[in-house]
Amino acid sequence: MSGGAHVLVGLLALGALLVVVRLVRLQVLKAKYSILWLTVGAALAVAAAAPGVLDWAAERLGIGYQPTLFLLLAIGFLLLLAMHFSYELSRMERRIRTLAEELALLRRDAERKG
Amino acid sequence: MVPRALRYRETVRTAVIIPAFNEAQALPAVLSSLSDQVPDHDVVVIDDGSTDATARVARDGGATCLSLPFNLGIGGALRLGFRHVVDQGYDRAYQFDADGQHEPSQIPVLLAALDGADMVVGSRFGSHTGYRVGWGRNLAMGLLRRLVGHLSGQKFTDTSSGFRAFGRPVLQLFASEYPVEYMDSVEALILATGRGFRVVEVPVSMGDRRAGRPSNRNLRLVYHFVRVLIVLLAGSHRRPAQTS
Repeated sequence: MSGGAHVLVGLLALGALLVVVRLVRLQVLKAKYSILWLTVGAALAVAAAAPGVLDWAAERLGIGYQPTLFLLLAIGFLLLLAMHFSYELSRMERRIRTLAEELALLRRDAERKG
Repeated sequence: MVPRALRYRETVRTAVIIPAFNEAQALPAVLSSLSDQVPDHDVVVIDDGSTDATARVARDGGATCLSLPFNLGIGGALRLGFRHVVDQGYDRAYQFDADGQHEPSQIPVLLAALDGADMVVGSRFGSHTGYRVGWGRNLAMGLLRRLVGHLSGQKFTDTSSGFRAFGRPVLQLFASEYPVEYMDSVEALILATGRGFRVVEVPVSMGDRRAGRPSNRNLRLVYHFVRVLIVLLAGSHRRPAQTS
């Protein structure tokens, strides 16, 4: 990467960090997800500030073309994240169903009393 | 002295569970035929997020009506029905269609078989019936039948029948663990047999649907078929479901 690109990626990473912190402050984003994105933002910032780190890691792993390592990590991370969200969705669906049932039963009891 | 069978009948409380999604047209006829033929059974209609007058029609017809805030699908509606009959202390209950497909005259056939079993399935494909379905559905049902036969160690001719009766132990299981997605009937068979309950099948005659439209298109059917295959093969029926 050229020097200009590093500066651009570094600024974007910093911007992302600021946005995440702001979302947590506004309580739009739950803190547990903020940890995830703060980690990603920090990793990107490090990669931008010290590009040697990624090159070094790629070399140690025997990966000749350095961007491959970056893409591998990115895809792996996104896949894990998608799986986690599927899990969370399944759990939420189960809870919402139970809530709907509880609501119908409570309505029944309220109608009998009223 | 009162004969034992008669005393037994006096104390047994029976509930009819009718899941209904926008069935205001067909429901009145079903409810009135039930109150004619089985006046001592308590009817509960599960209004599965209907946007028409289903709930009002159900109450006008003398039924208890439980309204879900949004549509959960037939499995979800049934599970609510099971929860209701369990916490209201019923001894037995049976499922009945809101669209007039099931015939009240067949109810005694179903309940008689419940004396020697925990769960009874009314089959359309028994001896004195004449029920026809399309070839795609036929193929899918045939495959499911073989798989269910293999997993349950029992032969069922009609795995998707919604005309079923349950004793209290099965009702208690289904109140918390009834499969809530489409093709629930197939999963429920495996769940009940897998937990060691005695499930029997009896031949019944069924009519055509009076109103409403068939609930699924072919592509959806394929999706649900694959989903059920995965559920059955994954064997999740052998473990108690997660509760959270």
